[in-house]
Amino acid sequence: MFVPFDSTMLLAILPEILLVVLAGVVLALDAAWQPEKRRWLGWLTVVGLAVAFILTATVSQPESEPRLLFGGMLRDDWLSFAFRLVFLFGAAITTLFAMDHEALGRKGEFYVLLLVSTLGMNLMASAGDLIMLYLAIETTSIPLYILAGFITTDDKSTEAGFKYLLFGAMTSAVMLYGFSLLYGFSGETNLYLLAGKLGELPMPALLGSLLLVLVGFSFKVSAVPFHFWAPDVYEGAPTPVAGFLSTASKAAGFAVLMRVLLAAFPAALPSWQGLIALLAVVTMTVGNLLALAQTNVKRLLAFSSIAHAGYILIGVVAVNAAGMNLGMASVVFYLIAYLLTNLAAFGAVATFGRVSGSDEMDAYKGLSRRSPALALVMLVAFLSLSGMPPFGGFIAKVFVFAAAVEANWIWLAVIGVLNSIIGLYYYLTLLKYVYLYRQDNLEEEQKPLPISRPYALALVLLVIGIILLGTAFNPWFEWSRTAAASLF
Amino acid sequence: MDFGALLLTLVTFAPLLGAAALLLVKPEQKNALRWVALITALVTFGISLGLLAIFNPADAIRIDLPWLSVAGWNVHYHLALDGLSILLVLLTTLLTPLAILSTWTSVEDRVRQFMAFFLMLETGMLGVFLAQDLFLFYIFWEFTLVPMYFLIGIWGGERRIYAAVKFFLYTMAGSVLMLVALLWLGTQYNTFSLPELIAQRANIPPQAQTWLFLAFALAFAIKVPMWPLHTWLPDAHVEAPTAGSVILAGVLLKMGTYGFLRFNLTLFPQASWEFSPWMALLAIIGILYGALVSYAQTDAKKLVAYSSVSHLGFVMLGLFALNQQGIQGALLQMINHGLSTGALFLMVGMLYERRHTRALDAFGGLWKVIPVFGTLLLIVSLSSVGLPGLNGFIGEFTILLGAAGSDALGNAWNQIVTALGVSFIPMRSAGGLWFAGFAALGVIFAAAYLLQMYQKICLGALKAENQNLKDLSWREIITLLPLLVLIFWIGLYPKPFIDLIAPAINQMLGY
Amino acid sequence: MINFSLQEANPMLAPEYIPLAILFILATALGFLVVIIGNLFGPRRPSIRKAMPYESGMRPIGVGTRRTPVRFYLTAMLFILFDVEVIFFLPWAVVFRELGLSGLIEMGLFLLILLIGFIYAWKKGALEWE
Repeated sequence: MFVPFDSTMLLAILPEILLVVLAGVVLALDAAWQPEKRRWLGWLTVVGLAVAFILTATVSQPESEPRLLFGGMLRDDWLSFAFRLVFLFGAAITTLFAMDHEALGRKGEFYVLLLVSTLGMNLMASAGDLIMLYLAIETTSIPLYILAGFITTDDKSTEAGFKYLLFGAMTSAVMLYGFSLLYGFSGETNLYLLAGKLGELPMPALLGSLLLVLVGFSFKVSAVPFHFWAPDVYEGAPTPVAGFLSTASKAAGFAVLMRVLLAAFPAALPSWQGLIALLAVVTMTVGNLLALAQTNVKRLLAFSSIAHAGYILIGVVAVNAAGMNLGMASVVFYLIAYLLTNLAAFGAVATFGRVSGSDEMDAYKGLSRRSPALALVMLVAFLSLSGMPPFGGFIAKVFVFAAAVEANWIWLAVIGVLNSIIGLYYYLTLLKYVYLYRQDNLEEEQKPLPISRPYALALVLLVIGIILLGTAFNPWFEWSRTAAASLF
Repeated sequence: MDFGALLLTLVTFAPLLGAAALLLVKPEQKNALRWVALITALVTFGISLGLLAIFNPADAIRIDLPWLSVAGWNVHYHLALDGLSILLVLLTTLLTPLAILSTWTSVEDRVRQFMAFFLMLETGMLGVFLAQDLFLFYIFWEFTLVPMYFLIGIWGGERRIYAAVKFFLYTMAGSVLMLVALLWLGTQYNTFSLPELIAQRANIPPQAQTWLFLAFALAFAIKVPMWPLHTWLPDAHVEAPTAGSVILAGVLLKMGTYGFLRFNLTLFPQASWEFSPWMALLAIIGILYGALVSYAQTDAKKLVAYSSVSHLGFVMLGLFALNQQGIQGALLQMINHGLSTGALFLMVGMLYERRHTRALDAFGGLWKVIPVFGTLLLIVSLSSVGLPGLNGFIGEFTILLGAAGSDALGNAWNQIVTALGVSFIPMRSAGGLWFAGFAALGVIFAAAYLLQMYQKICLGALKAENQNLKDLSWREIITLLPLLVLIFWIGLYPKPFIDLIAPAINQMLGY
Repeated sequence: MINFSLQEANPMLAPEYIPLAILFILATALGFLVVIIGNLFGPRRPSIRKAMPYESGMRPIGVGTRRTPVRFYLTAMLFILFDVEVIFFLPWAVVFRELGLSGLIEMGLFLLILLIGFIYAWKKGALEWE
């Protein structure tokens, strides 16, 4: 399993190398350039990420057999490959959304922090060792704390950053304690070697340390009861950052969750399945019910993002030890679909908020008359979130539920579909504002709503992606399956 | 790919292409938008006539291509046109252009979006009737919801938003359990293809059959709608714009009854047999309840809406008679209801356009000022009542015959009688007659409420504000004409229609 | 009692840790004890001077909760940055010969990244005192 160092290892971490180089260049240019030229840093970041995406997809594909690199610190397999592409894409889209955001786009630091956080996520997805995993999680989180509080002149943003920091620090401490227990029990830090040693442990010790580790992951994916940060942070953080937090960061959390559960804890499979099932039910239900009462779109999306974490957890539950069923593949597919969909939703909110300065639902009244194109994007994004065909969100939900049904967790699937009706209700509520209601003052509807070029580019890309995922889903699903199968 | 298969794909997606073409027209050019939509709908109708021309009742026109196959998942792009679906497809493609024609002057706001949603809706409906893959079927089934939501929500009446949300949530709530059920079937038997599942239906354990039947039935019963799940219907109908009501009553409700016919009866025959008396009971309650509530209405549109509950009760009764006559009658009655109720909604819409009210009290004596309208309304009402010689009679009569001779219903009746231990209840051998008898009361009620409506609108004293009403325009007459022709045709010479559907029904019942 | 079969002796309960545990308990108890006893038996004669904040015997000037100039934080952060850099140098220097050329290159890259950070900090004015 372990491979001695050779130059192909560098190829395997090519995306990470490129990210570091890009971050360095952007940082240096930020220092060198005059402030008015700094918007170009955004385009530089986008182009750099696109190049990294293409190079990763073509050059650094993993070999057919999964390998452990650098003394077992990293694992080179299709799962990490798939997730790294997802993160690079998410970061590029987020950059496009941030470019014309007055408080973000003119600051080189923003792009650097985003890149470093993406670097951390890449490492999270490929970490094969507890130490690497912890470092990767921190590399991801620390820039995100700063990004959430990036607008220092805005109290809400500062509050978001600080809250996120406190929650993150606390849960990461608990998780680290779990890691140290695992090491203490087994004397191993490598996830794949851990499995063999942990199998001999008594169940209470195993589950106890698993529980501690789960605290950290639940925070990352915003599962109940570690979700309290999400609404405040999403509301306060700059909208592009909130979009990034709810998609890429969540996907990274799930990548880690899947790998740790399956690589290190196969021995406790039935026990943690029950635990995760419980987590899934609570997360979906709480997220959806609380979302019903929201009047602020960003808070609504925060609760919806909690609920979606619940749906994804259904897929995690529905795994079997052989790994050849739908469970893991459906999780990967769901995360891809959710990334596209939620980025589109946050992108539309960012576009609208930039012009109108409000994220309250009331401000969205009559949007379909004010800007039919933006309304259409919101329609696609929110219908996909609610799981309506022919959009990616529908297929993703169906796969997750199918995985549960296939693995005989039918009651979980039933709770899932019932929850999706609640979800539908509040997504429809927002669409009601966009399409059905009129502004009290009809002149409001005449005001122009410009969509600048980066926004337009990103939104078009995302909408095409959502529809592709929902109609031509075969290759994507095949891809997810390959990725999921490489976990074992 | 052979010609028929190509036509199947074309007929399904032609409206969607038309909807895309609308995006090329500027929103201000309202007439151009209307023409594009109308031509698209007419072309679709033409294609469906082409399908009819090459249709052979004994054999289905089919297209079956793999769509997704991984890990024991086999989703196919599988459409088929057979005797069960052909009339419904034709009904859909016929009603859509007529409905578009009816909006010519009544929809002025956001014409482009209206037409786009309307054509998307048509694709969804055709897909539902044609899909032979459960997964594909579900996609189309859900796909119809969104356009209808917006048609009601944007262009509807005063309480449109409430009605739209209610419509959406009701239908969605029903269909999610169906999703779980069909996922179970798909993962258990590694296929979503309906013919393949039917071939394996003997392997479905009885208890699973019961649950699956209920999960599918809930989705379809809400759509039909069966009593007591009908409460979304009056709201949706009353608030929807005329064209929306026509399609809602004419086609969307048939998706429910068609679902029962296509999936419940074929996939779960044992469960269908067991549930048939209960379904028939609910159907009869629906027939009588719908009729009585109709009688009490003062709003013409609401009256027609509740009459749908009653009429679809007949369809359900026919289906769950589980014999050849019953199902034939039910299928024919689906078409009849689409024609008659579609026409009724169109005419109520025309009245509303003239007077901006639908209250029955506001009218009276219209016969004198607008005789053409009066004549046509009489014909349509009588067709809905089920007057011999018009289409409604053929359908309802066949259904009643089917119910009276039904083994499933008769058996159930006998069991009840035996269980009660009463020997003096007559006609133990033909228990289905009791079901038919109660249902027949519905026909009498129908005459009462529809003729009452006609009387209040067209007869009696003329009110001053109605003096200057204009009679129907040529466009309006053209809109109604195809429906009237079919009303008479089916009423007087139903054989060609029955010939189209009978082989498929016989095959389904295993004759 | 859970039997941890992995290790021969359970490290958490090994006898050599028992004195340590006793020390912990004693230390904690002593801390509480001293405070409690002082409160119970000590004489209390408050005066204005005694209530003043203690500032090494000087008369306190201004409020106690003044803001610290942000420069202190900047300097502290830069200090940590380069402090850590040097910490990494030490073990590297010890095994420098064994690592060979690749070790040199890696340290060069490490320095380069820090250098970019340093230039950035410099350009942004982090080193300007006034």
